[in-house]
Amino acid sequence: MRQNDVTYQLERFGLVIVWLGFIALFGAMRPDTFLTWSNFSTIFGSEAVLVIVTLGLIIPLTAGDFDLSIAQVLTLVSMSTAILDARLGLPLYLVLPAALAIGASVGLINGAITLYFRVHSLIVTLGVGTFLHGITLWIGNSQTISGVSPILMEWVIIQRLWGIPIAFYYAMLLALLIWYMLGHTAYGQHLLFTGRGREVGRLTGVAVGRTRLTAFVLSGVMGAVAGILYTGTTGSANPSSGTFLLLPAFAAAFLGATCIRPGRFNPWGSVIAVYFLVTGINGLSVLGFRTFVQDLFYGGALVLAVMVSQLVSGRRERAL
Amino acid sequence: MTGAAVPRLHLRGATKTFGGVRALDGADLVVRPGEVHGLLGTNGSGKSTLIKVLSGFHAPDAGRLEMDGRAVPLPMPLGRSEAYGLSFVHQNLGLLAEATVLENLIAGDHERLNSWRIDWRAEAARARELLAEYQLDLAPEQVVADLSPVNRAQLAIVRAADRVREHRSHGDAGVLVLDEPTPFLPQEDVRALFAIMRRLREDGVAIIFVSHDIDEVMEVTDRSTVLRDGKVVGSFETAGTSRAALVEAIVGRAVSTNRRVPALAEAPPIARVSGLSGDILTDISLEVRPGEVLGLTGLIGAGHDEVPMLLAGAGGRCTGTLTLEGRQLDIATLRPADAIAARIAFIPADRPRLGIAPDLTLTENAMLPRLGRGLWLNHAKRRRITTDLLDRFTVKADTADQAASELSGGNQQKLVLGKWLQLRPRLVLLDEPTQGIDVGARQDIYDRLAEVCATGGAVICATSEFEQLEAIAHRVLVFDRGRIKAELAGDDVTKASIAKACYEGAQVHAAE
Repeated sequence: MRQNDVTYQLERFGLVIVWLGFIALFGAMRPDTFLTWSNFSTIFGSEAVLVIVTLGLIIPLTAGDFDLSIAQVLTLVSMSTAILDARLGLPLYLVLPAALAIGASVGLINGAITLYFRVHSLIVTLGVGTFLHGITLWIGNSQTISGVSPILMEWVIIQRLWGIPIAFYYAMLLALLIWYMLGHTAYGQHLLFTGRGREVGRLTGVAVGRTRLTAFVLSGVMGAVAGILYTGTTGSANPSSGTFLLLPAFAAAFLGATCIRPGRFNPWGSVIAVYFLVTGINGLSVLGFRTFVQDLFYGGALVLAVMVSQLVSGRRERAL
Repeated sequence: MTGAAVPRLHLRGATKTFGGVRALDGADLVVRPGEVHGLLGTNGSGKSTLIKVLSGFHAPDAGRLEMDGRAVPLPMPLGRSEAYGLSFVHQNLGLLAEATVLENLIAGDHERLNSWRIDWRAEAARARELLAEYQLDLAPEQVVADLSPVNRAQLAIVRAADRVREHRSHGDAGVLVLDEPTPFLPQEDVRALFAIMRRLREDGVAIIFVSHDIDEVMEVTDRSTVLRDGKVVGSFETAGTSRAALVEAIVGRAVSTNRRVPALAEAPPIARVSGLSGDILTDISLEVRPGEVLGLTGLIGAGHDEVPMLLAGAGGRCTGTLTLEGRQLDIATLRPADAIAARIAFIPADRPRLGIAPDLTLTENAMLPRLGRGLWLNHAKRRRITTDLLDRFTVKADTADQAASELSGGNQQKLVLGKWLQLRPRLVLLDEPTQGIDVGARQDIYDRLAEVCATGGAVICATSEFEQLEAIAHRVLVFDRGRIKAELAGDDVTKASIAKACYEGAQVHAAE
């Protein structure tokens, strides 16, 4: 049976094992710089934004849709937050809801176009994302905006719990929520059937269109949360902040789908995949490799992840 | 039997077994040069298996094939049939709708084209010549999607004929196989296809014409071969054979009856459908009583298979009303969720796409209709209910957590049945419920349907398997081109009489 099967357990925790192997390897080579608590707590805190973007992605991915605009939602929200807060001096209790509303409306637009015009979400969100980037450059005058309220920074990156910035715990809380939503609610099952058996779902009464629309709105909101945390982490907003997060997030989402619950996009797998990728890059840069390792690592991981998942599903088919 | 000349195509002793069932049992087929040869038989008679052996889709267990007296290897190497002088037009025609006439004409013509360079100007001229030769009013640059259905069929036939007209290996014309190209065409368009077929015959091309429609076969063929239960019943000179003799050869004189249909109590109908129209269906009405199994059948393109889909709210554009236990539902606006709320269950034909999500677990599949608003799914309970369901519906599975794709077809279908019957539906709609399912599982499915009837529910089952209707149906409605043309009830529900009703009514159309 699957549950007791050693190979299945190895598959589930394979990525964790490789991750620990990486840590051991880099730790052995650079014990005094890599293997320090401050290095790790920095990684955990600063990459919370990437975790949240990845978590946002897996919701539409489960329903069979891509949201390529999520990184630009992050950038736009980050820029809007900075402008509303630093330039216009609005209080945070107005700025934060406005920021979330921006994310939700972008999701609504993505979903509406995808569903109404029956265009593939890959194309819709690619276009919408670029459009959003244009808006970001426009409203921010292509400049970095700093001077964000210290309260925001205080509650994102300065406050620490057991030495790790509080942003990390926000990400874990969201992972918990999404884990619950995907695994333990009717909506999670609706998402799953929408992605993996859309017609079966439709014939069994699942409102497939509404499920997809909701997924887009949720990923928009997650993008907005990530945008707020990004602004809080750096204390400023720059017009290209999200651009470099899209590929890592996809790599982590697909890599995450090879572990914990292999064959499905799952939040804990995503979290592990993000920290696995970041640890690898951090370790390599501690060893003295230059920035190009980022692209090698993220790009390679994305392709490797989809290859592995194809191999795994192919093996299952052959095992019949 | 072969006559004076060497037959163009000679298939001997073709045998093919699928999981213990003989789909084709020592079948012989002789096609003479330049004749139109009809191939007749009911569903499951082995017609399509025979065609698939010729096209190389199936490898036969035994059998030999000769073209013009030369041995051709079996299994036919895939994609090489044209080189041996055999070309096919299947029901879907195999045209690419977004491409032009010219692109479709040259697509896949590996025998002739240079794959490194296409001379478009020369090809267009050649296409124009070909179209003119068969008096097709088409231009090479027209897009196929814009053509009428009959033009598309003509194009597909001319394309296939062109590939074998001059048999490239030794100069003779080849054999063109037309596999049910007509069921969705109106009468006058069928005539247009026949005109092309006669033209080709004059050019020496032999044609195998597969059809359900005896009148078409009588009209256009020179000879015909009838298959039943995988065996060749006989070959006939069409002109010297009566319609009745052909019908009898197709249908046989089965006397066996394995009917185990319980008696039906007098009761008012539980469900009534009126004025139902869809893609093919035109204004049909029917009713079904509590405890009744109503069978819907017909030949290909008759529209009987539209009924379950439309009544479940799963189909496209339609009109009509359904009254179920006194509640009136408008079929045009019916959504699957409304149908489920009205206690209707629909078990579709296309299992891997519509019936089951193969990647997901048995539990997920079985519990989908019972999610409700669930904000806290109790996994232990879901698994327990599913395990119990697998047990009750005799689904052979290792665990409720395995992927549905790991089950056999029969067990998948039993799971789908369990998923729906656990909701205790009052009206169960089925479309080809036993497609690709072994005999044992079939019986299990029939038993479950009998349970629905025993509790006062009703079953509507659309199928083209007459045997199945004989086994389970109280009453059968026979459809033809969107209308009900015959009703059989009680002892008249036999495989033979259903088949007879299907084939005979066609005469009415010929007269129309």
